[in-house]
Amino acid sequence: MDIVTVLKTAVAAPIIGVFLIPIANKISVKARNACAVALGLVTFAACASLLSPMMKGLTATYSVDFPLGFDFVLSADLLSVFMAAIFSFVSVIILVYSLDYISRYENQTEYYAMIALFLGSMMGLVFSANLLWLYIFWEITAIAGWRLAGFFRSDRDVAKANKMLLVAVFGGLCMLIGILMIYSDKGTLDLRFLKGEIIPPAAAALLLAGIFAKSATLPFSAWLSDAAAAPAGVGALLAVVLVNAGVYAYARIFGAVFATPAGFSCLTLVPAGLSALVAAGAALIEKDIKRILAYSAVSQTGFIFLGLASGNKTAFIGGLLYILMHSMAAGALFLCAGIIEQKTHTRDIARLGGLFKTMPVTAAAFALASLSVMGIPPFGGFFSKFLVFKGAMQNANPLVLTLFFCGALLTFLYLARLFYLVFLGEEKVQNPKEGSALMLAGVLAPALIGLALGALIYYPCVYADLLAARLGVNLE
Amino acid sequence: MTSDTGLLAYLLIPLFTAVLLPFVARRRPGFSASLANVTLLAGLLNIGYALLNPASLAASFADIKEDGFSLLMIFLIYLVALAVTFFSAWYLEGRPNRAAYYSLILTSVSAMCGAVTTGDFFTLYIFVEALALTCAALITADDSAAGLEGALKYFLLTWPASLLILFGIAFLLLTAGTLSFENLKAIIASGRPAGAVVFAVSLILLGFLVKSGVVPFHAWLPDAYQGACAPVSAYLAAVVTNISGVYAVIRIAMLLRLFEIKSYHTSGLLMFAGMLSIMVGALAALRQKEFKRMLAFSSISQTGYIALAAGLGTPLAILGAVFHLVNHAVFNTVLFLNSAGLEKAAGAGDMRRLGGMEHAMPWTSWTSIIALMSAAGIPPLAGFWSKLIIILALWDGGAKVYAVPALLFSLVTLAYLLAMQKKIFFGKATEASAASREARPALLVPVAALSVLIIALGAFFPYVFSYLLETIAARILL
Repeated sequence: MDIVTVLKTAVAAPIIGVFLIPIANKISVKARNACAVALGLVTFAACASLLSPMMKGLTATYSVDFPLGFDFVLSADLLSVFMAAIFSFVSVIILVYSLDYISRYENQTEYYAMIALFLGSMMGLVFSANLLWLYIFWEITAIAGWRLAGFFRSDRDVAKANKMLLVAVFGGLCMLIGILMIYSDKGTLDLRFLKGEIIPPAAAALLLAGIFAKSATLPFSAWLSDAAAAPAGVGALLAVVLVNAGVYAYARIFGAVFATPAGFSCLTLVPAGLSALVAAGAALIEKDIKRILAYSAVSQTGFIFLGLASGNKTAFIGGLLYILMHSMAAGALFLCAGIIEQKTHTRDIARLGGLFKTMPVTAAAFALASLSVMGIPPFGGFFSKFLVFKGAMQNANPLVLTLFFCGALLTFLYLARLFYLVFLGEEKVQNPKEGSALMLAGVLAPALIGLALGALIYYPCVYADLLAARLGVNLE
Repeated sequence: MTSDTGLLAYLLIPLFTAVLLPFVARRRPGFSASLANVTLLAGLLNIGYALLNPASLAASFADIKEDGFSLLMIFLIYLVALAVTFFSAWYLEGRPNRAAYYSLILTSVSAMCGAVTTGDFFTLYIFVEALALTCAALITADDSAAGLEGALKYFLLTWPASLLILFGIAFLLLTAGTLSFENLKAIIASGRPAGAVVFAVSLILLGFLVKSGVVPFHAWLPDAYQGACAPVSAYLAAVVTNISGVYAVIRIAMLLRLFEIKSYHTSGLLMFAGMLSIMVGALAALRQKEFKRMLAFSSISQTGYIALAAGLGTPLAILGAVFHLVNHAVFNTVLFLNSAGLEKAAGAGDMRRLGGMEHAMPWTSWTSIIALMSAAGIPPLAGFWSKLIIILALWDGGAKVYAVPALLFSLVTLAYLLAMQKKIFFGKATEASAASREARPALLVPVAALSVLIIALGAFFPYVFSYLLETIAARILL
């Protein structure tokens, strides 16, 4: 099939799904579930099949003219396909996991429709080659995230979801002001024509504020730990996919298009380093398992920024690999937490313990994913962390590096503590059961893939290397 | 058919039906609703066809010197009026005096059509006053004392505006000797001293600002909306205030632009009042407990965006103002009609007594989510594009000081609308809401149709934009 058609399919399939899912629900619940998973699979297949044409150096572009230079341009290149493949894969895992997990609650149709909308707008976001459309999809992900985070309808949950949307829209508006500055400065928002241009410092700072609000980096990190109270599938979707939307925007805007002003790297790295350290500290003392994992995601995102912003090729490759490894591991961790919560009816780690005996598969998946996040060889997480630090040592400020080293140490500590308190020690919960087959498949798959990626690190490395060489700007 | 009679038909036919209604409906009271709906639907289809076929538009309305602005406004008037009468047909079923109610609506439609098609200030004034009278009578259609109170407030608080307009017109006649837009343009173009003319036009502008409820002249608006019965308040908020105030403000802003530097202060003050409205309206809406009052303050805030853009006066800004006017009318109709449906279903407009309505009323909940997202300027809905054009125009026009807060205040808009959605539709069901059921399908039709319109105007933005550009902005350039 023509790669432009594949590109259009990747964006259109989930968006059409938003309307198909409620219709399928009228037929039967099974039809709706099948429809949701099928749409996820189609999207993933489309994105994955674009990987190899991109490595051959092909590009695919589809555009519709809009007035005032707001053209709707979809463009596939190495970076967008890489991110789209990761996002759609994680979404498929979450959809499969949700089939069982979510079947006990109300508003299921809305849940699936919103996941489809979320996935569709995510695809739109990564493939947009026009900053305005990037912003539009950016806001649609926020709306879908808002409905998903407000899945439970108690006052507290709705208030948390509203808080999340307000933070996201605030970030989005900052970004929009930055985009308008670029528009009045350069006269176009088409990223294909802006490559290598120097961005005004104020616009760069505003875009960065928007990115940090999305990626839950300090000082905008509070929404993620609140939103973690939503169902586990949503937690995983927000912590892995939504947060990485911010990371993608950084990689796209500052890594692949604009030349950044001097000192910009420092402006990124200081908040990122602080959030890596502070969130890790928070994860060490927090008692709610989902909040711990949310803090962990905030902390790990800091490391991704370290890789992308250090301004050298090794670190940039490390950052890209980090996105891949962290998505797999964090997805598995969140989904494990969902199984634990559902089977024991508590999220408080002080009231959990000794689950290893009754939930061995969950424990194994949790352990594998934790080891990857800690960065223990031969897991995938080791290589990415190693490359990020290796590259960053050449450029970054020693103080900033110290922040990150401490953060990495704390990562080890909080994950070890979490695993010990939940799975080892004395049994405190009455009759916990292992999760169902579908849910276990949902946690094992990403955990094992994390291990497999470590063994086959050569292939993602080659891809990331090509990506950095062809698209990277601001790299030594 | 000549052009004048072509446009006059939109004015005369509803007036004719309005006169006919009380006689026809004497025997069968239910017939009045159908007749009003059919009249408005026919008008809407007619104007809709004319708008969608610009070629036939140019042929049959060759004499329209101005632009497509008037035609767009006629379309809007018919659209909202039809939504309201269709809704009322079921909402007011069984009430007495229905024939009078529909007569008044049709009369006000014809008054509004007169106001938007006229080419001089005096006729505009006459039609706007006729509109004010019919609307005061409409507000009393709510049988309770609140209706009478609202009507009196509406009339007494807006009559100083009429006085200002009348003074302005007198002064204009003294200084310029003409009241027609075309002649005024010619006078300005001839380069005669314009100070006195600017003053007279400013007086008229001030009057219309009071009528559009821009801060600091907004005191009458929440009371009037709250006092009226639900569909009437939708009608007032969505189209009457827009036509009797905001439309004229945009028209005058188009004129003011021609004065260039001489009208600098007037334009500056208009922008300032617009910004003030955005801020005061949004902040006051945050504190409201009553659904309709909150929506009233929200309208004040949205009107602020239009006034801000009109004050800037560049073609792009005027285009944005007109587009936002259309969007404002559409999402306001949806929100107000939903509030009416809620009131009918749960018997309460107080947000503290409602909760968890989404299960009982899923359609009402989703349509109001769409409308509020459009109001808050969330892409890709229609409201996003109009706000974006306004902000872009402000930025390009050198008014960055206004552009940034105007943008950030859409966050406040989102905040109060989310709080509303949370209190009314999400959360636990209260006593009042547990017993309620979804409004009848017939009541949902106008709301659902307008929600589709919100999405469509956003999705087909390129067409909307080029249409507005050709019919409105291109003509302002002179």
